[in-house]
Amino acid sequence: MIVLVLVLPLLAAFLLPLMPGMLRRLIGPAALLAVAGIGIDLATITFQQPVVLAVGGFLPPLGIVFQADAVSAVMVVAVALLTLLLWPWQGDDASVLDRKQALTLILAAACSGLAVSGDIFNVYVFYELAAVASYGLASGNNAAAKVAAFRYVILGGIGSLLAQVGITLLYFRTGTLNLAHLAELAPHTLYDPLGMSAFLLILLGFGVKAELFLVNTWAPEVYATAETRVSGLLAGLVSKLVLIILVRVLTLIFAMTEAHLAFLVLGMLGTLTGELAAYRARDVRRMLAWSSIGQLGMAFVAFSIPGPAGMAAGLAVALHHLIAKPALFLLAERWGGSLASLTGAARKSPIAAGLFVLFVLSLLGVPPLPGFWAKYLLLTGLAAQPAGLWWLAGAVVLLTTAIEAVYLFRVIGALYTRDDSQESQPAVNVASSGILAVVLVGAGLASPILAAPLDRMAAQLADAPSYVARILPALPMPPDSTMPPPGPVPSPDPMQPPGPTQGVTP
Amino acid sequence: MMTLDNLLALSGATTLAALLLGQSRVFAWLGGLMYIGQIILLAAMNLPDVASFGFDIFGQTVGWQMDGFGRFFALITLGAALAAIAYTGGEWGDRYVQNGNSRRTLQFALALNVLAMLLLLASKDLIAFFIGWELTSWAGFMLMAQGGDRALRAALRYVPYAMGGAMAVLAGIVLAHTWAGSLDIGVLAGRLPGLANWQIATLLVLFGSGFAVKMGLLPFHLWQAPAYAEAAGAGTGFLAAISSRMGLFGLGLLLIKLLTLSRVADLSFIPGVFDAQDLVAWLAAFTIVLPTFTALKQNDARYLLAWHGIGQSGYMLLGLAMGDPIGTAGGLLHVFNHATYQAALVFSVFAVIHRTGTADLNSLGGLVTRMPLSFLAMLMGIIGLAGLPPMNGFVSKWLVYRSLMIDGHPFLFLMAVLGTLGTILSVYKLIHNTFLGQLRAEHENVKEAPWSMTIPMLALVGLGFLTGVAPGLALHYVAEAQAALGLPVMPYTMGGVQSPRGDLDMIWVVGVLFAGFGVGAILFYGFGNKSKRIHQLDNYAGGHFLSADVRYHYSDNFYAGLMHRIGPLYRSSFTWLESSIASSVDLAASLMQGWYRQVTPALVLLIAAALGLGWTIWR
Repeated sequence: MIVLVLVLPLLAAFLLPLMPGMLRRLIGPAALLAVAGIGIDLATITFQQPVVLAVGGFLPPLGIVFQADAVSAVMVVAVALLTLLLWPWQGDDASVLDRKQALTLILAAACSGLAVSGDIFNVYVFYELAAVASYGLASGNNAAAKVAAFRYVILGGIGSLLAQVGITLLYFRTGTLNLAHLAELAPHTLYDPLGMSAFLLILLGFGVKAELFLVNTWAPEVYATAETRVSGLLAGLVSKLVLIILVRVLTLIFAMTEAHLAFLVLGMLGTLTGELAAYRARDVRRMLAWSSIGQLGMAFVAFSIPGPAGMAAGLAVALHHLIAKPALFLLAERWGGSLASLTGAARKSPIAAGLFVLFVLSLLGVPPLPGFWAKYLLLTGLAAQPAGLWWLAGAVVLLTTAIEAVYLFRVIGALYTRDDSQESQPAVNVASSGILAVVLVGAGLASPILAAPLDRMAAQLADAPSYVARILPALPMPPDSTMPPPGPVPSPDPMQPPGPTQGVTP
Repeated sequence: MMTLDNLLALSGATTLAALLLGQSRVFAWLGGLMYIGQIILLAAMNLPDVASFGFDIFGQTVGWQMDGFGRFFALITLGAALAAIAYTGGEWGDRYVQNGNSRRTLQFALALNVLAMLLLLASKDLIAFFIGWELTSWAGFMLMAQGGDRALRAALRYVPYAMGGAMAVLAGIVLAHTWAGSLDIGVLAGRLPGLANWQIATLLVLFGSGFAVKMGLLPFHLWQAPAYAEAAGAGTGFLAAISSRMGLFGLGLLLIKLLTLSRVADLSFIPGVFDAQDLVAWLAAFTIVLPTFTALKQNDARYLLAWHGIGQSGYMLLGLAMGDPIGTAGGLLHVFNHATYQAALVFSVFAVIHRTGTADLNSLGGLVTRMPLSFLAMLMGIIGLAGLPPMNGFVSKWLVYRSLMIDGHPFLFLMAVLGTLGTILSVYKLIHNTFLGQLRAEHENVKEAPWSMTIPMLALVGLGFLTGVAPGLALHYVAEAQAALGLPVMPYTMGGVQSPRGDLDMIWVVGVLFAGFGVGAILFYGFGNKSKRIHQLDNYAGGHFLSADVRYHYSDNFYAGLMHRIGPLYRSSFTWLESSIASSVDLAASLMQGWYRQVTPALVLLIAAALGLGWTIWR
């Protein structure tokens, strides 16, 4: 079943040009809906107990492994639903539309693949797949977008190269690319300068897509020039999945202080530079792009906190941004150009302006919206660490939030300033962002209920020994099946009945 | 029946009703009734009352509970909302709508402010507190931003202050949780005083600056005057009456209940001479003096009042910082007293704006014959603001002065008196330039403001007079607030204070005052009243008759002589500080943009990778 989440969209992408008429427009959404369904089903299983699949029956560490824990399942659902919300339904001529839909499907497949991959080689493959799809989507159809996309290709290409060198180093030292196996071997083989170098190269290489500071200079131009739905996908979705991969590398393989500090320092610098650069932005989409860099930096800071507290904070920040930023990009679709041109837009599209305010307030962390809980978890996590860099990071987060408030409210001010001129402004389509707003407000209202699943996801993500134990049980398995993890059950909940012992075969 | 649950439910219903029906002018009646209902529920509540709802999240229990301290502020909030909504129902509201504004948004913002403040005032733990705090901030922003582009711009200036303050409060909450292991206010009150001095100091600075922003305490006061002054009339009245007092509520909670004043006083800068409690008191004192003298320079009546609002909050904090029964009673009572006369003054100024179209103190004058009721409201209001009998402002200021004298703070007392001097000078400028002197020709046909405007202001000054004569009516709730904070309660009577350290009986004071007036009236009217009534434009000076087109109303460059002396002392240092911080951020921001606009990102990536590899080896 796990494999379906990436096979279905991939298959749909390749079949799409061959389909006749109506079917051609429906196959993509249908595949994504199916993935969403599988993801939800997967979530019901994995919240009890993560599942593992050895492809073709070849056992790890030799065989290829897919694994799904609660984080993977939630991410798969997010991939499917967010791609559906940002689906290119219409526009352009048929062949361009075909291309866009196919690329979007490939991007979704790659993202799902990133969520469930259990070895770093597959991670690299899906990363490249996502990269190629996103280059194609970002290049769009105007000159500025093409220039921005070219810069993105160069940076992304060098990034991939660096990551590949890092992965090669890993293989050179350990002879394996399986994440669990690497985790087992790391303490003996990788905690030295060469291992650190491998980590650094992977961090910088994959960091390109996760908008990590130092390698994120492509983001503002691409987000400002690409179609807003593409910006939403890249900023909201792709960055999060790559981030989760980096977090897995951190917690499983390089769970040492220096690696955490690298996350912390680069995240802190990302927050600071992103939010400050956004402060001077005079164009809403660039502003959102820089704000996205800042928010991703905050997620890096959160994930740098060791233990489940950090994972919970990081997941909360990342998931919140995953909902909020695409919605803001969608709302800003017709609000390009200088801020002054937004004057009076709230009168023309009051609902869009209202939603914009809602998402801004959540982004700033105004309770009881979910952004507040993310920030609260982040700050309490940082405060629980020893004073020093951690507390400095807390101060940076607080300071940049104040800066963020100023520039985002500048937009709100422009929206609500009265416009005496009668020139008409295009209405903003609020359907997709409206749905995201419902999700946001729902999550805010249900936050006491959502806290428990979040903790569970965080516990699974932070629990490296259980991850290793369930992938490398050294037990025979029936071929091509999902195996129940023997050995210690990860973070058992005594109140829950035991999870299904048998997974579902794809 | 009279429970916190029902109060919050009714307040929520009011907000919802405002959203649905607020556009209609009739809603003023419905909303007014709903506010009255809330006042009744609140006043009849048996305290402390715990809300039945609440939730657990991340190991914290979030809940609400109303005590005497919260109720004191909540009653003032609801009273201010009632006065403000009465203002929106009539002609003013219709004009407001004609000018292209939304009455629905105004009503909604007002109701939302009330709901947010009730949630804040009834918070049982710091998460609930922060929820209330942020809702109050942004609902306040919404109310400030109503009424046109100038209001919106002024409100936007509030944003960095509000968010900076909120983040300071959040940092304080997180640290309190880290150090004391709980966020329940009752538990924290037991644990926080046991922290080390540097921890107390950190919490004091973080929470204190956050609360100080809302209160407009120096040096965080610059946003307040324009934001309050430019808002829509009803909104200005409400904001001026109560909004910034939420900061005082926070400071009271922090200084007296959570950290305790005795622990704050342990943080000494010069041992035995100057400690953190003194620092708070001196900040309060400077907040009295500097904004009051800034008010003196204003030429817009709305700004003049808004600056006084900032200055008067200094008296409240000064009283609280004394920590003794009389001082804290004075500080708290001043919150109520200030709300009554300040809202009345704002409404009176907006009544003048409604009729004449301006609040410019250089283009008004002589309106007393045209708008006598508004004049009466302003006269009684400024008597309250200046702190003179028989209005209630006298009582609270007397208590603060008395406490300063008893506790031995002669220099603080001097500052307080200096502030009062500045107040008297500027309120005289206000009433003189608006109502006294020569009527302008263009105002010849001005009529009194409609009843929907005069009734709220007269009711407010009436209340101010009533609680001036019988302060015991309000002191009942003050005593309750003191008890809830764990302070010793000041013994009070209907007429004022009865304690071995100083008595005050306002019934006697006012009796003597009016007896004096009575004697004066008998002398004036009984023995040869030689006055002759002439037309207001019938003036003469230096033996020359002045026709209506000759301006003979001295308003421009008021207090020229005084300004010649003290003018050089106005340095705009805070404005300079504000703009230099803004330009520093701007500079840093353009540097960062340069980073993201670099032409050789790939090279930078490679250099970063090389440096990183170097680091791993060197390490």
